[in-house]
Amino acid sequence: MKKQFKIFLLVSIIAIFFVIFYYSLKANNKNNPNVMLNKVLPTIELISFTNFNLRQVLPIINKDKYYLINIWSSWCVPCREEHPILIKLKDKIKIYGINYKDKKTNATSFLNELGNPFYFIGSDKDGSVAIELGAYGIPETYVVNSKGLIVFKHVGPLNKKIYLRIIELIK
Amino acid sequence: MASSEREINIYKNIRCLVCQGQSLNDSNSDFAVDLKKVIKKKIINKETDREIYKYLTERYGDWILFSPPLKKNTLLLWGFPLIALVGGVFILRKRLVFYLKQ
Repeated sequence: MKKQFKIFLLVSIIAIFFVIFYYSLKANNKNNPNVMLNKVLPTIELISFTNFNLRQVLPIINKDKYYLINIWSSWCVPCREEHPILIKLKDKIKIYGINYKDKKTNATSFLNELGNPFYFIGSDKDGSVAIELGAYGIPETYVVNSKGLIVFKHVGPLNKKIYLRIIELIK
Repeated sequence: MASSEREINIYKNIRCLVCQGQSLNDSNSDFAVDLKKVIKKKIINKETDREIYKYLTERYGDWILFSPPLKKNTLLLWGFPLIALVGGVFILRKRLVFYLKQ
């Protein structure tokens, strides 16, 4: 009787470990982009892309119900892919662009070619602004509310599905 | 400026998020270089290790650190090896006593 019990115990322990490891291996171990959701946007000061004397501090409190922040650059291929969606969003939500580690000439050409959806563009020459916002791979997009809370964050290019989610969110 | 030992230890504990499991210390990717610059500034500003790790985990989650912090949800993670050891000793106690007596 005791021997049977020992075997049963051993098998159940092995089974439990199997289940734990199986789910752990399956689990998406990529960085969780939700860690900043519903937290206040870290304070950043953007230096205008077009005029070095013009500054914009974010977050902006109690002005717009929502606004969007998009980190992009001219050399980033997925940024080019998602750009039409930003153009579509332009009339629905104010978009602050952060031009990441880019040359002004190249960024300007990019916008001349594909259109400019940005209400304001800040320069992030050394990538420190992106790090302040918890970004690690561009493009990245944030939707911020009037209280400065990040209500949505997306890593990677925007697509139709995400566009619809954003539209729904900012209604 | 050469990196201090403390600085290197911090870099060794931080995961390069765009590399395959490398630490900041091991990686020269753009992200790693940029993040090291940010951290170096914080060290110059006399921020403590704890403050630096807090800054990073607020933005990137606990996962950015190789040694997860001791919190409620990681207590089991940290405690498990000890529990397993104690458990193993208990199960084998009779055998252990037998061998020790020899």
